[in-house]
Amino acid sequence: MPMANDHITEADFERFRDFFYRKTGIHFDVSKRYFVDKRLQARMAATGHPDFRSYFTELRFNPKNSEIEQLINSMTVNETYFFREQYQFECMTEEVMDELVRNNINMRVPTKSLKIWSIPSSSGEEPYSIAIFLLEHWPGIEEYDVEIISSDIDTAMLAKCKKGIYSERSVQYLPKNIKDKYFKYDALTKFYHLSPDIKNAINFTQVNLADIKQTRSYRNYDLIFCRNLLIYFDDISRRNAAEVFFDALKPGGYIFLGHSESMSRISSLFTVKKFRKAIAYQKPLERGL
Amino acid sequence: MGLKKSTDKTDEPQDSVSFEALVELLNHGSMAEKRLAARDLADHPNGRSELILALQNETDVAVLEAILDSLQQHFDAQLANDLLDYLRSENVFVRNEVIGILQNYPDFVGPHILALLNDVDSDVRIFAVDILQLLAHPDTPQWLLSVIKDEQHINVVAAAVDRLAEVGTPEMIPELQALTERFPNQPYLSFAVKTAIHRIAEAS
Repeated sequence: MPMANDHITEADFERFRDFFYRKTGIHFDVSKRYFVDKRLQARMAATGHPDFRSYFTELRFNPKNSEIEQLINSMTVNETYFFREQYQFECMTEEVMDELVRNNINMRVPTKSLKIWSIPSSSGEEPYSIAIFLLEHWPGIEEYDVEIISSDIDTAMLAKCKKGIYSERSVQYLPKNIKDKYFKYDALTKFYHLSPDIKNAINFTQVNLADIKQTRSYRNYDLIFCRNLLIYFDDISRRNAAEVFFDALKPGGYIFLGHSESMSRISSLFTVKKFRKAIAYQKPLERGL
Repeated sequence: MGLKKSTDKTDEPQDSVSFEALVELLNHGSMAEKRLAARDLADHPNGRSELILALQNETDVAVLEAILDSLQQHFDAQLANDLLDYLRSENVFVRNEVIGILQNYPDFVGPHILALLNDVDSDVRIFAVDILQLLAHPDTPQWLLSVIKDEQHINVVAAAVDRLAEVGTPEMIPELQALTERFPNQPYLSFAVKTAIHRIAEAS
């Protein structure tokens, strides 16, 4: 039986990093070396490969292998909480919303309403964060209606969203004044109950992004948040999701992805827009694609 | 003004459109109509041939993406065969997308690789090497090795050397070294060979 050697050399790391980037668009710089090594070693152990070379060969050349999905999952461990990746919400209220208003004014039929789609809703932290951030930081909310629709494939998650009850961990990064304003703390259960005003303002829907018929009615959105979902999809599903988002957005509308995701790696339909605090992907205003 | 609960009906059934109407929309509709038609034709029994045909004349990238994504909903050997023809397309976008798609289907593409690597058109041979870049097939390293041993066109060889830098093994190093003798006075190739050998040695 061969001796296990789970040491990962610098060359191994670079070889893996190049491959993983081409597969997923996720780039690991040298500072992530420890993180990557640990997870690679865990996957090597779980799949019974004695060394990196053997594991990488299997990963790279065995078409029947679903290991790449397992690996992606382990490299993209996620947790959700209120105001996660706050810089994107700041970008939304400081720049994006005003631009969307300007786009709307120039439309043939201007409206006083903007639509935001948050998917996946997961347990609700993201759509509710969007709502709170808009109320707190976007003056335009006084003049415009904002509709927030949040969707998930998982009905249990949608039920949790509608309940709006959160643990200390979920609200740990919220400033005290925000917690006090929008939540009621239950000392007995030690859970935070979201204000009914916020809960009732959001429409939660079940949707499977892979089902064309289900997604067809999602139209005329100004802004979409789809963060840390596409990294779990295979290439084809990722492309299909990009297609759904393209059709769901108004011309000039934006989509925010997770910090490690890149639309440019998925589809050429969108243009990259660099704002001061974040990158977003825009459905072109003109047809000149 | 403020937050307003959406009244959108997201679960209402959509009207179905006839096959003939979808084909008409695919070929003559607006961009949005063409995209919707392309997506609907994915599940229609006769949709594939219309989608394949539309690839020939369509120029809008947004529509082309919808067509190619719909085609992939039901991938099989026949579709691989049909898409291979588009490696000769004059439309760079279509060609690159087809290469990217084919990389995902080693079982269906594998049987065509040798024919592609022996195609009379050197551009098609380069595209075959491009497909190998991410084709998860156990014969990929050997196919690339065959290119550096037998191929005469320097651009095809150079493309294969670049790929072998990523997937080559130490036993391929002599074949790589032999290239500098077979193609003397080609500084780029010499550099690519050195880089490939260095990376293979590092990784072994």
